[in-house]
Amino acid sequence: MSMKISERFSAKDIRQYTFRAGLSRTEGGLMELVSEVYTSILGALTLLTMAGALIVALRHSLGVGDESALLASAISPGFHSVTLLQASATVLLTLAAALLSVEMTMGPVAMTLPQTAWWLGLPVRRRGFIQPGFLKSLIWPSAAALAVVLPMALGMEVNPTPGRLALSVLCGLGLAWLLYGIASWCQITDSGAWLKKTMGAITLIAPLTLVATALFNNVAGGGAITAANTAWMEYLPTSWPLLVADGATWPLLLVALALGLLVLVFLNLERISTGQLKSSAAAGAYAASSLLSMDATELSRSLGGETSAGTSRIRLPLIFKRGTAFSRSVKTLISTHATMALRSPATLLRVLVLAAIPASLASVEFLGNAILIAVALYLCAHFAATTLGATARFSAGNPAVDMLMPLPAKTVRLVHYAVPAAVMTLWAPVCFGLLLALGVGSPSLLVLAVLAGPGLGAATLRAAFRPTPDWNMPAVASPTGPIPMGAIKAFLIGPDLTLIVLLPVLIALIAGGVPAIAFPIQLTLTFLAYKWGTHVRKPKSAKDGGLFGIPAAPVQK
Amino acid sequence: MDICRGRVLSLELQVEAECFREGPKQVSRLYFQVMSKATSPSRKSAPPRQDVVRAEKLQAGYGGQGVCGVVSFSLHAAQALALVGPNGAGKSTVVKTVVGQLEAVSGSTLINGAKVDDRTLDFRREVAVVFDDDAFFPALTVEEHLAIVSAGHGVEDVEETIAAELEFFGLSALGKSRPYNLSSGQRRRMLLASAFVRPRSLLVLDEPEQRLDTAMRHRLATRLRAEVDAGLALLLVTHDPDFLATVATKALFIADTIHTMTPTQAATAIASENPHAD
Repeated sequence: MSMKISERFSAKDIRQYTFRAGLSRTEGGLMELVSEVYTSILGALTLLTMAGALIVALRHSLGVGDESALLASAISPGFHSVTLLQASATVLLTLAAALLSVEMTMGPVAMTLPQTAWWLGLPVRRRGFIQPGFLKSLIWPSAAALAVVLPMALGMEVNPTPGRLALSVLCGLGLAWLLYGIASWCQITDSGAWLKKTMGAITLIAPLTLVATALFNNVAGGGAITAANTAWMEYLPTSWPLLVADGATWPLLLVALALGLLVLVFLNLERISTGQLKSSAAAGAYAASSLLSMDATELSRSLGGETSAGTSRIRLPLIFKRGTAFSRSVKTLISTHATMALRSPATLLRVLVLAAIPASLASVEFLGNAILIAVALYLCAHFAATTLGATARFSAGNPAVDMLMPLPAKTVRLVHYAVPAAVMTLWAPVCFGLLLALGVGSPSLLVLAVLAGPGLGAATLRAAFRPTPDWNMPAVASPTGPIPMGAIKAFLIGPDLTLIVLLPVLIALIAGGVPAIAFPIQLTLTFLAYKWGTHVRKPKSAKDGGLFGIPAAPVQK
Repeated sequence: MDICRGRVLSLELQVEAECFREGPKQVSRLYFQVMSKATSPSRKSAPPRQDVVRAEKLQAGYGGQGVCGVVSFSLHAAQALALVGPNGAGKSTVVKTVVGQLEAVSGSTLINGAKVDDRTLDFRREVAVVFDDDAFFPALTVEEHLAIVSAGHGVEDVEETIAAELEFFGLSALGKSRPYNLSSGQRRRMLLASAFVRPRSLLVLDEPEQRLDTAMRHRLATRLRAEVDAGLALLLVTHDPDFLATVATKALFIADTIHTMTPTQAATAIASENPHAD
C-alpha cells in the first residue's frame, strides 16, 4: 500500500501512451484491410456491371423508352408528387430530430468503455480526457450539415450563387452546432429526457407524412395539397438554411446562438459526471455493434437509449404434448422465437416503416428515379431483414441457449430461419404494394419480390451468424488506432446475400419491366440463398454431426 | 511540475528515437522505462485518517425507488466493513451509491470528510474501486493496462510494482497477453491487480472472491487483512464466509431491514444461506 509517488502524468501523456502502445504491435496499414475485402469488392463490381448491361439490354428488348436508365423515372406520368419544398423541410426536420436524438444518447461528448474504465479513475485533470471527444464529435454534425444542406440549397435555388450557397451551408452548420450544443448541455446537466423522446417520435413519424401526402394527392383530385399549403414548413427552424438559400439573412442568427452555446459548454466540460460518460460510452459501444450488425431495431434502440425490450406479456404456448420429442422441441423453439418477435411490437413497426421508405422517396418531386428507388429498396430490405434477426444474433452470441434442445445444429438453424423468412415474405408485398399504389413497378414485379422474400430471411441468418473480428491476429494500424483483421470483411457478410437475392427484382425495377425468365432465376437465387444462409459450419474436430460437435441426444417418444 | 513535464516530453522524444532504432515491439518496454524515469521527489501516501467513510441515512436505489433498507455506517482507517445478504438485496447498489456511481435516493455519504464526488482529484487519488466491469483496450496487454493505472497515479517504480502484482495474482506469464485472451478468472485477477498497483486509503471491492480459485481467494483475503491492519479502509461485498471471516472487522446484513453484525455472525448467516459455497 505504501509506494513511492512522484509527479503524475497529464491526461495527454496517458492518451498518447494508450494510442502508441496499441499501435506498436500492428502489422500493416489500411491497405491490408482493403486487400482482405479485395475479392468481395471485385465481385460486387462485376455483379453490378453485369446487372447494368442486363438492364440496358432489357430496356431495349422491352421497349420501355429511349432515355438512359440513369435518368429514367419510375413514376407513372400524371402522378401528383409531393413538392420539393415539403420534402426538403420534412427531410431536414427528420434529420435534425435524428441528429439530436442520437447525440443525446451517445454523448455527444464521447469516450469508449475502456477509456472510461481505465482513464477516468486517474488523478489527473479530466479535461484532457473529455475535451478531445467533445471536439472530435463536432465533426459529425458539421459533416452531416454540409452533406444535407448543400444539395438542398442547390435544388431550391434556380440560379445559385457561390456566396448564397456558402451562407446557406453556414446556416446549416449553425443549426447542427446548436443541436450539438443543446445535447452537450443536457449531458452536462443530466437533463432533457423528454426532449429525446420527442425527437425519437418525430424521426419515426415525419418520413411517413411524405408517402401519406402523395397517396392523398392522387385520390383527392382538386383538393390535393399544393405548394401554397405547405409553404409554412419553410419557417420551421430546421428549414432556415433553405430560407437563406432563398435570400434571407436573418436566420444566420443561428450561428451566433450556436457559437455562444458551444463556448458555454466548453467552459463547463469538466462538470460532466463519470456516470454520464460511462452511460454514453456504453450507448456508443452498443450503437457501434448494432451498426456492424445493421439491425434497425438494435440501432434504433441503442440510439434512442431504450433499455428494455418492452413490457409486452404476450405468451404463446411453449410446452407441447403431442408428437415426437423432436417435433415437440421444434415447436417449442419456433414458438419461443415468435413470442420474442411479438413481444416487441416496436420492432414490427420499424419493419413496417422500412417498407414505406422507398415509397416515401418515390413520392417526392424529381426523386422518382428508378436507380435511387432501387438503392433505397436494397438498404431498407437489408435493414428490415436484419431487424428480424435479433433472436438469431442472441443465439450466435450465446450458443448454449440453442444447446438446451435435443436437436441437431442444422435443425436449430432452420428454426431460426422460419420467422425472418415468413415476415420478409409478407414485407415484400407491403413495400411493393405501396410503390405500386404510387405508380412504380407492376403486379408482376410485386410477385417477383414475394419470391425473393424467403431469400431475404436467409440473409438475416448469414448476417446474424457472421464471424467476429479476431483480435488474436496481428492488428492493422489506422489513424484512429488499431483495427482487428477481418473488421471490414465481417461488415460485408449479410449485405452480400441481400444484394444477390434482390438482384432480379432491382434489375426489373430499373429496366421498367419483368421478363418471364426473371421468375425461375429469382426462384433459383432464393433457393441458393436458403441453402447458403442456413448452412452450419461444423467445427473441424466434429464432423460427425450433432449440435456444436455434441452428438444429438437420443430421441424418446 | 513544469520541470517534470519538460523531462517527460524530452523522454518521449527519446522513446520515439529508441523505437525507431529498436523497432515497434520495444515501445511498451521503453514507455515503462520512461514512466519510471520521469520522477520527482516522492510523496508518501497519506497517513491513515479517521472516519474514511460516513454514510448517513443512505437510501440506495434506482429512479427514486429504494432497493433495500436505509443504511447508516462509518468506516475508519484500519477497518474492513463487509456488506452481506442474499442475491438482489441491494448490496452492490449500496456500494455504488457510496462511491458516487449511482445517485442516492436520499441521505448522504462523506468520504474523508467531503461529499462524494468522483470528479475531484482527491477522491480519485485516495479511493480504489473494483467492480465486475470487463472493459479493456483490445490492443493493449495486461502490463500496459496496469501501467496506465500505476503511472497515472504517479507511482515511481512502475515496472517493479506491476511485476510484483502480476506475481501475486499469478499472472506473471501473462503480462504480455491481451485481456480478451485470458480466462474469465484471469481477467478478474487482472482487474483486482489494478487496485493494487496504485496508492489507496480506501479500497472498495464488489464480490472480490468471484471467479477466483480457492487458493487465490485465500491469498487475497490474507493480504487484504494485512493491509487493513496496516491502515487501509476496506469496504467490500462478499458471499464467501471464509473470506469474510478472514478480512472483515465488522459487517452489515443488507435486506429490507439492516442489521449490524460481527464478522463471525455474518459468516454464519452467509453459510446458513448458502451451504454449498466453497
